[in-house]
Amino acid sequence: MSDTPGAGSDVDDAAAGSGDASDAPDVSDRPPIEPTYSGHDDRPHLSQIQRQQTPYTESQVIMSTVKVVAPFALTFGLFVTFHGADSPGGGFQGGAIAAAVVLMIAFAFGIDATREWFTNVVVVGLAVGGVLVFGGIGLVGLVDGGTFLEYARLPIPHPVKYGMEGVEILGIAPIVAGVLVGLFFLLAAGFDDRDGAGTETEIADATTDDATTEDDR
Amino acid sequence: MSATVTAIEAALFVFVIATAVVTALARDVLSSIIVFGAYSLGMAALYTFYRAPDVALTEAAISAGVTTVLLLLTIAKTSRMNHEAVFERVDPTAALAVGGLCVVLLATVTQMPTVGDPTAPVYANPDVTGYYLENTYADTGVGNTVMAVLASYRGFDTFGEAVVVFGAGIATMLVLHREVFS
Repeated sequence: MSDTPGAGSDVDDAAAGSGDASDAPDVSDRPPIEPTYSGHDDRPHLSQIQRQQTPYTESQVIMSTVKVVAPFALTFGLFVTFHGADSPGGGFQGGAIAAAVVLMIAFAFGIDATREWFTNVVVVGLAVGGVLVFGGIGLVGLVDGGTFLEYARLPIPHPVKYGMEGVEILGIAPIVAGVLVGLFFLLAAGFDDRDGAGTETEIADATTDDATTEDDR
Repeated sequence: MSATVTAIEAALFVFVIATAVVTALARDVLSSIIVFGAYSLGMAALYTFYRAPDVALTEAAISAGVTTVLLLLTIAKTSRMNHEAVFERVDPTAALAVGGLCVVLLATVTQMPTVGDPTAPVYANPDVTGYYLENTYADTGVGNTVMAVLASYRGFDTFGEAVVVFGAGIATMLVLHREVFS
């Protein structure tokens, strides 16, 4: 994942990306982007076009490792979440570990491929659903005539213990997992300066700096 | 602090300080990020040694894992400079300021209570810490006091925190001009 994307395949990816972004008008009329890096006048090592695309290099080693590690890491994340009441951990830590599993899979198998099954609906559902569940559990006590988050008024056996577990497992963990994966996808998609920014993952600006690409090869 | 620092702790301290210095001084941003991930892992191990496994889990998952990945993604979108020097030049004024701050902070270390000292203010406070430690199980039925404080005693604060995390996702969408996460 941290390997430098200077290989030839990335240039091909970049070319494919420029085709996808063809709905953006007159990108070719813009001046080439000058990479700015304050304080240093070193020359850029990699061109803007290579860097704007999120590079993906298919690696058998990384894919095999992630295939082996991911089930265990996800199980650990769920354990930390569900067992947080009686051992170290809780919703925040468990949600972060579960999100890290998704990030790991995305690095091994490609971010676009991960987007296809971990869709926007899932991300938003986790984040919004978590907030609603947390708030909803809190409001039960208020509706029942008590105070906000007064677990003892929940209509379930062992209300305080299971109320806390519910907040951790169904509230905090989904929020953290959803938002972390969402941040990852957002950063991978990058900044979109077109009007009506949509679901495109490519950036129109990435189509300009062809000359530098040739120099770097 | 007393002089009962084990060899593993000492090694971890040296590792953490060395990685912190390299993170600050490395010229190449990619190197900085990788070393910063190692620093976070060292900090997570240190937290475990000092009986703070909840913090250690968070540090390992968030700081060593997710933050490193997010930083890598971010610099993957910038230009990488071709550096000849491995380390940054050190600005004398900045070095003096940072060194002075370190001296001031280190001067306070001798006044801190020993790790695990039962008379340390954080333990010996019967109204807060003592109350939680004695009554958590009777009040809530869970064994992890940290979680009881987070989810029950300070539940409203935690609700605010969770909404802040949610808001961070929304704010990033706004900044990046996107309407969907993926």
